[in-house]
Amino acid sequence: MPDPLLRLVDLSKRFGDVAALDHISLDIAGGEFLTVLGASGSGKTTTLRLIAGFEPPTTGQILMDGADIAPLPPYRRDVNTVFQQYALFPHLTVRDNVGYGLRMRRVARPEIAQRVKDALALVQLGDLGARKPRQLSGGQQQRVALARALVNRPRLLLLDEPLGALDLKLRRAMQLELKHLQTRVGITFVYVTHDQEEALTMSDRIALMRNGRIEQLGTPDEIYHRPQTRYVADFIGDTNLLKGKVLASAGREATLQLGGAVVRAPLGVGGALAAGADAWLSVRPERLSVGPRTGTGTAAAGNEAGVGAGRNALEGVVADLVFVGAGTKVFVALADGTRVMVHRPADDPLAPGAPVTVVWPVEAGVLLRD
Amino acid sequence: MLRVGALVPIAWATVLLFVPYALLLVQSFWRLDNGVLTPGFTLDNYRRLVGTSLYPRTILYSAETALWVTGAALILAYPLAYLLAFKVRRHRDLLYLAVIIPLWVSYVVRAYAWKIILGQQGILNGLLLSLGLIHEPLSVLLYSRWAVVVALTHIYTPFALMPIFAVLEAIPPSLREASQDLYADRWRTFLHVTLPLSLPGVLAGGTFAFVLSMGDFLAPQLLGGNDSALMVSNLVWSLFGVAYNWPLGAAVAVVMLGLTLALLALTGALERGGRSR
Repeated sequence: MPDPLLRLVDLSKRFGDVAALDHISLDIAGGEFLTVLGASGSGKTTTLRLIAGFEPPTTGQILMDGADIAPLPPYRRDVNTVFQQYALFPHLTVRDNVGYGLRMRRVARPEIAQRVKDALALVQLGDLGARKPRQLSGGQQQRVALARALVNRPRLLLLDEPLGALDLKLRRAMQLELKHLQTRVGITFVYVTHDQEEALTMSDRIALMRNGRIEQLGTPDEIYHRPQTRYVADFIGDTNLLKGKVLASAGREATLQLGGAVVRAPLGVGGALAAGADAWLSVRPERLSVGPRTGTGTAAAGNEAGVGAGRNALEGVVADLVFVGAGTKVFVALADGTRVMVHRPADDPLAPGAPVTVVWPVEAGVLLRD
Repeated sequence: MLRVGALVPIAWATVLLFVPYALLLVQSFWRLDNGVLTPGFTLDNYRRLVGTSLYPRTILYSAETALWVTGAALILAYPLAYLLAFKVRRHRDLLYLAVIIPLWVSYVVRAYAWKIILGQQGILNGLLLSLGLIHEPLSVLLYSRWAVVVALTHIYTPFALMPIFAVLEAIPPSLREASQDLYADRWRTFLHVTLPLSLPGVLAGGTFAFVLSMGDFLAPQLLGGNDSALMVSNLVWSLFGVAYNWPLGAAVAVVMLGLTLALLALTGALERGGRSR
């Protein structure tokens, strides 16, 4: 990455005996939309608070354009924050809230008036400047919080679950709006959320955190299709995590014993696997297809046909069918009792108890170490 | 329909509050006939109250004293409440308790304590003498208006502190963080966020200190010396107890009650105004 805007170097934060952040390093490019994703307690909010300056790091550096800003108080950092509950000043009007940062920086009054007006127009709140925050809806308050930060034209904008308090429909609309806004103003966004769907929708890159560390860093596509750990595969989207035993590992592929059959899978970033080791195969439900078992072929025969065609096949019986509107979730019980979820369009119905074959292309599988 | 549960507090307030005040109001229209309390209806007491400069002057003097106490109590209470709300982490409850505990000590004991401190043979004089700052004990420390102000400030500061602390503690930490995030240092954050948001507490605490010290009776009696006669409660006391002029005393008391209620209504309206703005 050429000259990152922000570099986190070996950053940690301990609260007593608890390591909220455990020696993370991360480069953020100018203009990037980076999402810090994680469950609660994973360290994502701590990361944000360290960058904003609300907490001092225990170790490490926060380099902005190469200079360490870690010793600076929040009011000396070219960074602004959109807070989780917005943190609008209740005693000030919307206009005064938005102009607060400019007033504190002693910008000339006419310029403040103009920039506040532009910022409110940007978030489509042009005519609400005279209101008090409590007279606004949650969505409007969220926009004020955004305008209050953006009006300062910071190098870096930190957003702490800014859509968390909105209802689902408004949240979806705001996700797209935020993404468009970010592209338009060209400000680097560091966006904290626990919502994996939000992360996939909006981000240029995602840093998925777990226990104070970055579990995986990558584009939404990489994180979704090439998870490096079982945790990542499980956290992002729906997936089938199937446990198997490695039979052989050669070239870029491994074969494993799984669900009463032999399947093939491409080797992941970890490289070759020892024969006899336990491994997990992750296959997204939408990459699987399911159909009635054909002929009277045994599992082994069916499997051989599948392998020959660059596809894997497992046999089972339909255990459950769940209608989800756009399609049907089919739960198939394999011979060893493992359940596999398949997303399929709601076409020809399958009856529970029907013998079926589950098939997927070899390259759709992701092999993960135990 | 009133439920039985509501009747108890209503009865309580009627017997212990409204009836005495009503009697006071009724008596303020009575007159004194050759030293004999005579029921009737006359506005003479109120005419005398307004017409004699002693009474308005006393009320003003009391109000002025109460203002000094209010100012001093707020100046002491605000920083302490601020420290308790934001700076103290460990033992915070204990420290808050330490502020409140004096309220449980008998009022008379606290007033007398100041006699011991400020008296001619008192601790303060002893200290000043031993430091060589003075050569003979000062007599002006005790039995003056300032002794009363000092003692009342001591007694009523916790009342000023409690509402300020409550308001400060209720300010979400994220607001002060947001202010710092928007380039305001600690001082400007205090000036533009913390202070404006704590004003309702200051108003409530100041009202407590003012109303309580304006109506105070014992501290001026014990520590005020000749100045004490100029506090309105002591005037009421002497009208009832010494001059035996109950109607006039009642009239002064009614006027004081009216002024106090007006003040409470005013500060109440200010607080509501501050909230809804």
